Amino acid sequence: MNRRLFLGQSAALLGASAGMNKLALASTKTKAKVVVVGAGYGGATTAKYMRMLSNNGIEVTLVEPNSDFISCPLSNLVVGGSEKIAALTTPYDGLTNKYGIKMVKDRVTKIDAQKKTVTIGDGSTLSYDKLVLAPGIDMNFDAIEGLAQASRDGVALQAWKAGPETVALHQQLADMPDGGVFAIAIPLAPYRCPPGPYERACQVANYMQQNKPKSKVIVLDANPDVSSKGKLFKAAWSDIYPGMVDYRPAHRVVGVDGKNKTITFEFEEALKADVLNILPPMHAGNLVKDAGLANMNNRWAEVSFLDFASTQAKDIHIVGDSIQTAPRMPKSGHMANQQAKVTAAAIVAEINDFPVNPNPVVTNTCYSFVDRSQVVHVASVHQYDSEKATFLPVKGAGGLSPEANQLEGIYAWGWAKNIWADTVA
Amino acid sequence: MHNTLFQRTRTQSRRLAIGLLFGAGFATLTGAVAETVDPQYVYNSSLAATCASCHGTNGVSVAGNRVPLINTLTHDQITERMRAYKDGERTGTIMPQIAKGYTYEQIDIIAQVLGKK
Repeated sequence: MNRRLFLGQSAALLGASAGMNKLALASTKTKAKVVVVGAGYGGATTAKYMRMLSNNGIEVTLVEPNSDFISCPLSNLVVGGSEKIAALTTPYDGLTNKYGIKMVKDRVTKIDAQKKTVTIGDGSTLSYDKLVLAPGIDMNFDAIEGLAQASRDGVALQAWKAGPETVALHQQLADMPDGGVFAIAIPLAPYRCPPGPYERACQVANYMQQNKPKSKVIVLDANPDVSSKGKLFKAAWSDIYPGMVDYRPAHRVVGVDGKNKTITFEFEEALKADVLNILPPMHAGNLVKDAGLANMNNRWAEVSFLDFASTQAKDIHIVGDSIQTAPRMPKSGHMANQQAKVTAAAIVAEINDFPVNPNPVVTNTCYSFVDRSQVVHVASVHQYDSEKATFLPVKGAGGLSPEANQLEGIYAWGWAKNIWADTVA
Repeated sequence: MHNTLFQRTRTQSRRLAIGLLFGAGFATLTGAVAETVDPQYVYNSSLAATCASCHGTNGVSVAGNRVPLINTLTHDQITERMRAYKDGERTGTIMPQIAKGYTYEQIDIIAQVLGKK
């Protein structure tokens, strides 16, 4: 197929000569500016793929206060002590050196959707043609009495954003007496990483089995049952860690007393524990929430799924854990990386005045370690449904591992290294 | 729509091949040239990029990675394997479940973009 024929077909797609004019214009105008806020799985991938898909025709600035990318997936291995946080850390250099993305090491303090600017921590402003927000989640500490104080005091940790807290939570486990109790409290879904808390229970039990065999993990789940990979996690708890994991469904935590290390519930008797890993309900990142973009119950951001544009403000796109997801679409790093590619392609289309892809598809792949080497997966594929204007899981596709296995433990590390590179290197 | 998507992929594949040839430098090289972005390049590349989360950007795995390599396969080999996974004729851990979620047209486009040239 020759070049002329190719262009001719593109023009036909756009609608005769009007399309050609738009194409001609697109090539002569100055570079469009996109500012991306947050360099996690969603934001960093959007930034990189906008550069790739536009043949560097878009100027991309990525605002991120951290100097390295630290993966949340696999960070339960750090909590359990079989890995160090350094193994999950990738510097951001590649985004600048290989893809020409301008990194700004700061926070965004204000968004002005009218003037199309963001203000960063040092008081200066960045102007944009398009803004991409990927701040992940933040937590509603006030939903649990005493939790804000206990968290500030370092008595009740979350470690639900990988980093220093992940390391600190492992230290609390290591400092716990043999015969102690490690309590993990899970909020009602939706929350970031549905299988994460159950994988954490496995990793903590794995540490105990090897180091403090009289100890116990108590899982306090506000949900009526295990939210993800239920049979597989329950099999791991009974087969690999018999008597060590005490799973209690429908246990909603209402209070934490940091001084006495006591957890109180809606209905059940209070519980004392040595380590309090209390996950409160989560919501869209504060950046999105404070800008008034969390327009679904003041909690998550509604987006149009063809381009992940906010339904609240023009030229602002939101990807990753902050959004109100499509049916059965999890809040996961893999999913954020996938949403990012749909978003990047759509922004390139919108900036160059051609239609966005009408049939995007995203997948989810999630590996959980049940011990140091065996893994269980859950996978799904979500095709865009134009009638319902959302992504729907493809029936008959996706599924679970039949049982925990070593081969997928190898694949899980392969997945991690490839998705980290796909996101930031 | 799907049919025309498929027909255009040869040109798109060639451009991607040029990109791969220059490796990391390709971004800077093409960035210097004022070039119109082809809708088909964007659509097809972003579809193939759904594979990159596990198999690496442009299908190129990180060195030493034990996720099965796909950039060593030709268009026909990728199409054949993906169809076999989708049709239940090939076993695996996760790929039979993933392949069932893609249409045959999408599999063809992915194979055109990522297949060894």
